[in-house]
Amino acid sequence: MSATRSTLLTSRLVRVLAAVVAVSMLGVWRDARPSAADGAIAGHVEIKRNRAAAEERPNVASLGAPSVRQPEIRPAVVYLDTGPRGAFEPDESARATMTQRDQTFVPHVLPVTVGTTVDFPNADLTFHNVFSLSKIKSFDLGRYAKGLSKSVRFDRPGVVQVFCDIHSHMRGFVLVFAHRFFAVTDVAGRYRIGRVPPGSYTLAVWYEGEVRETRPAVVPDAGGDVIADFVVR
Amino acid sequence: MLPWTRFPLIVVAACVALSCYGARDASGQSWPTEPVALLDGRLLLAADASLTYGTADPGWFAYTDYATDALRRARAGLTLEVRAARWLAFLAEVRAESGSGVRPYAWYVRFTPDETGLVTVQAGRIPPVFGAYARRSYPQDNPLVGDPLLYQYLTTIRADSVPASTDDLARQRGRGWLVRYPVGNLGAYSGLPVVSSSRWDTGVQGRVGTQALEAAVAVTTGTLSNPLVANDNGGWQLAGRAAWRPRPFLSVGVSAARGAFLTAEALASRPAAGRPGRDQQAFGVDVETSWDRWIVRGEFVANRWRVPPLDAPAITDPLGVRAAYVETRVRLRPGLYVAARADRLWFSSIRTSSGETTWDADVSRVEVGLGYTIRRGLLLKSSVLSHWRDGGRIRRDTLAGIQLLFWL
Repeated sequence: MSATRSTLLTSRLVRVLAAVVAVSMLGVWRDARPSAADGAIAGHVEIKRNRAAAEERPNVASLGAPSVRQPEIRPAVVYLDTGPRGAFEPDESARATMTQRDQTFVPHVLPVTVGTTVDFPNADLTFHNVFSLSKIKSFDLGRYAKGLSKSVRFDRPGVVQVFCDIHSHMRGFVLVFAHRFFAVTDVAGRYRIGRVPPGSYTLAVWYEGEVRETRPAVVPDAGGDVIADFVVR
Repeated sequence: MLPWTRFPLIVVAACVALSCYGARDASGQSWPTEPVALLDGRLLLAADASLTYGTADPGWFAYTDYATDALRRARAGLTLEVRAARWLAFLAEVRAESGSGVRPYAWYVRFTPDETGLVTVQAGRIPPVFGAYARRSYPQDNPLVGDPLLYQYLTTIRADSVPASTDDLARQRGRGWLVRYPVGNLGAYSGLPVVSSSRWDTGVQGRVGTQALEAAVAVTTGTLSNPLVANDNGGWQLAGRAAWRPRPFLSVGVSAARGAFLTAEALASRPAAGRPGRDQQAFGVDVETSWDRWIVRGEFVANRWRVPPLDAPAITDPLGVRAAYVETRVRLRPGLYVAARADRLWFSSIRTSSGETTWDADVSRVEVGLGYTIRRGLLLKSSVLSHWRDGGRIRRDTLAGIQLLFWL
């Protein structure tokens, strides 16, 4: 008798748990997958005082002139301050690349999601030594030569500033997000954050280590594009 | 009026306060990490400041001159680069150092005629071409608190004062911080290091080469041990260096220099028969290799000074000194490293009235230290320096020093 009751209880519990899991999955499915009502936030970021490539520290001890480097593109990043709930599941297999080329980090700004592994290949003839003292992720990859690459997995959200121990003018940013609702501005300053579920959000503009502006943005239930332009001074 | 000897301390204190202020945010990543660029990048400004404090040094092992203890000093530097044209720039560094006030450390024009930077000509108070360490004398380029003996230790040679005999020389063994000789300037003052890294020479320097292979030649008014702004003896120094980097992890350089180091006054005060010696000659080899978290550097220099033979027992042979150091730095984890340097100076022998001895006391140093980057541009270093010397009042001493360093 008690064995039958126990079997029944177990069977009910399994069914309840299965239902909970199914409902949870449906919820994730609905939020994470684009739906007809999802919208986009797009616009333009005008940077009034564009910071050019980092200048090498004037070095009076040098016997020769520093090498001439190409100007570095320093984009802004626009993102939702808080992403839609349940809209993001960390992708453990995600990878991104920040190359060391002509003594610059390319790209200068690399936004990724939590769990992403970033490769740091060296494309220069000289050694580089990527490191970060960030509290989000501190690491020191040591010196390595052209053609070699080392990787770092970013498992906490935040801003990670990366440097080269050998070339003090090299500086880059890895922005680690807990959601996928971010976009880097292109050369013309345009951005587009796609597949944003309807709702009210706070939109933020980040540029060169600082959040320069935040403003509310509402994606209507009917979806569609929301335009938000910014001016960074 | 601001007392200039206190100026470095004030600058260091201001830098540390600013740095601490900038470190208020959790990650401290908004603190500026780049030089100040003005006038569309035509004017660049950078700064560095350091505060060093250590145990007392009664053996004068770490002094850079009679008044300056390298383990107890404040230093601040302002570096400026003005890019007048693609091919023309002016560079200068002004340093304020406790004990010696404010002085220009470097100032020169740089011509870069071709766009590739294959050829560079610099004229003014220029960086030394000889050896490797003197061009990385920014505190942040030195993993330890102390400098190599070769570039800092005060020998008993002076440029303005000459020993008349080997006996005069032997009497001063092991006390280079305060030397007195009977010819030339009769006052007591500190001797010269083999190569000075605390002052730069004045002249013209040319460099040609690529990243893999380069050569540089300089003609200057002073010498390795006694760099000058104004020529004080009518002589010139010719110095050169060739460097080869066959692989990114290896750099090998060879250097040579020869120049007149004794002042005209010192020579004139007791004219010697014939053509008196007054030259400093040096030959050096430097090697640097690095891989992963390791850097290993080493230098060897064979140097000799010629002084005029005056009284018996006369100084007939050149006064030789061989110097070598090996240093390594290993990064243990982000922001933390351990470093060590082994150093030695060997002096040649002279024959005195009482027998044969080295003309100055051989000296060795082993320095071991740690460095911790508090934040980008703010480094804390500490070192223990053990010394052994074959002469002088104090023959063995262990010192300790700590250095806080800020740069922008």
